[in-house]
Amino acid sequence: MTASGLSLHIAGVSKRYGSFKALEPTDLDVRAGEFLTLLGPSGSGKTTLLNLIAGYSEPNEGEIRIGKRDVTRLAARHRNIGMVFQNYALFPHMTVSENIGYGLAVRRVPSEESARRVGEMLALMQLGSFADRSIQQLSGGQQQRVALARALVIEPDLLLMDEPLSALDKQLRRQVQLELRRLHLKHGRTTIYVTHDQEEALVLSDRIAVLDQGRIQQLGRADDLYNNPVNSFVAGFIGESNLIPVIVKSISGSRALVESEGLRKSFTVEAGPGIEAGGNAQLLVRPEHLLITGKMEGGGCDGISAEIIEIAYLGELNQFTLLLESGQTMTAREVAGRSLGLGAKVHVSWKPGCARVVTSSTREKEKKSNA
Amino acid sequence: MSRLPLPLRISANGACSLVLAFLVLPILSVVPVSFNRSSFIYLPPKAYSDVWYGRFFADTEWRSSLLHSIEVALLATAMALVLGTLAAIGLRRVGGRLRAGLAALFLAPMIVPVIVTAVAFYRSALDVGLNGTIIGMSLGHLLLALPFVVINVGISLRAVDPNWIRAAEGLGAGPWTIFRTVTLPHVVPGIVGGAVFSFVTSFDEVVIAVFMAAYSNKTLPVKIWESIRLEFTPVVAVAATMMILIAIVLYACAQAITPKAREGGL
Repeated sequence: MTASGLSLHIAGVSKRYGSFKALEPTDLDVRAGEFLTLLGPSGSGKTTLLNLIAGYSEPNEGEIRIGKRDVTRLAARHRNIGMVFQNYALFPHMTVSENIGYGLAVRRVPSEESARRVGEMLALMQLGSFADRSIQQLSGGQQQRVALARALVIEPDLLLMDEPLSALDKQLRRQVQLELRRLHLKHGRTTIYVTHDQEEALVLSDRIAVLDQGRIQQLGRADDLYNNPVNSFVAGFIGESNLIPVIVKSISGSRALVESEGLRKSFTVEAGPGIEAGGNAQLLVRPEHLLITGKMEGGGCDGISAEIIEIAYLGELNQFTLLLESGQTMTAREVAGRSLGLGAKVHVSWKPGCARVVTSSTREKEKKSNA
Repeated sequence: MSRLPLPLRISANGACSLVLAFLVLPILSVVPVSFNRSSFIYLPPKAYSDVWYGRFFADTEWRSSLLHSIEVALLATAMALVLGTLAAIGLRRVGGRLRAGLAALFLAPMIVPVIVTAVAFYRSALDVGLNGTIIGMSLGHLLLALPFVVINVGISLRAVDPNWIRAAEGLGAGPWTIFRTVTLPHVVPGIVGGAVFSFVTSFDEVVIAVFMAAYSNKTLPVKIWESIRLEFTPVVAVAATMMILIAIVLYACAQAITPKAREGGL
């Protein structure tokens, strides 16, 4: 991979709209050539952060540098950034070529060179036969490629993408994701990608920043976020998870003794960051780590009594919804093969070392106080 | 429409025709009158002739009043286009209550009775010595024409996606380049529409013109007004026909230009 584009450094950047804090003071460093995704639900601050990087709004405080250049107060048009918008924002009164060449025309690139670079982009995006078409004559996927070509042709220091695939149907989205990944591997342009789709983030990114409530909750590689989530929000947003409220009794080393009031049971599990004795927390077990054993087989001391209330067949996997005695439900997945019937009384436990206790995110705490 | 039962359809069509006739026939009736041969107004004319057209163009006062009207209307239109387009763009940029307030201000001349505007404008014009001048009359008509440009351009601007502006900005374009290459192509239909309305508004305006015109620079409506009070000849009908003709031609031009501009622009 050849890195083109520059690194991005964000230090203590925040944004308020009136009394609403859209983005809490945030630090973020993106390496040259990296593909970083800002992942979060709507209102999490991910688009605010992207607009600050692009220069469409100014931060209340903090500093943004692209490479060595401080761009905090620099207008968007002087930042040399390529942006792909959610609705593409293609100019409908221009042809495909004119759209792609717009940034070059504005920069007064000589027409010969401009034609050559637009031609290269058309070829790269497999749009050659559409050069003189108007935008309305293109499908959503083709428009998406024109938008990407228009952003890339100016050889930007950063490529920013704001939910660029949300207007495409699922099949096409999968295909374009792979194309984007391939394109990035080939050109290695530093890319900041905004999405609320965790699957998309997992497919595309070198690293993912999970945002919620105007804050980066966790930044890391996909497997890191999945295996070591710092709190219940990240755990719930990346992959599927079972979360059970618990009280932390004691901590020894990297493990904690936690107690569930609802289940009237205690467990010793891995402790995530920020776990303190005496506090409330969430016990996290992924569906594929749950073990279901028949009641007669005895189960371990960790066994929780449960009843199977729903079975979904997912091809090679079966998914069970389990009703616990406390009234909570859990989801378990296992390779198909066993015949466990609806209504069966079972014991539930988990593979050793696969359960974690994590802090409740502020969102969970609010939910609780509202309930 | 085609699903209506027959009797209902016939009566609906009949009612529409009656309303249209009521609106259009009195206006169109001046056309045959202008071809009257006698010096009195008969409808229908007993004999036809183009003698009054000859009189109209032979009379320097009629001829110059037509030219004054065109001059005033062109000046008022040019000013209204520049100011109205800027105002419409500005209104898109400001938010909320300020926009509502400013819009009300810009559109006020449509609501305030013209006679009030005319008196107020007349009094103000006296202080700066604009009475009896062509530019004074144009400025007066500018007041009435401005709302049409603000409205028409404002409607066209709604078709401009704010993200197009942001995209152009991100690609390195400055404000003037963005206006020229992104905004303007979409606003052309609104500007053409605003121009036609402005021109026609000024061209047939009589109240402000009566206040502002000097003896030497009467506009056509002022001249018609005076003539009807002094001598009621078919020359007046000729003048009226000329006005109708110009309005129709302008409207046709606007219709011919607008769809093309829209095709290229939207």
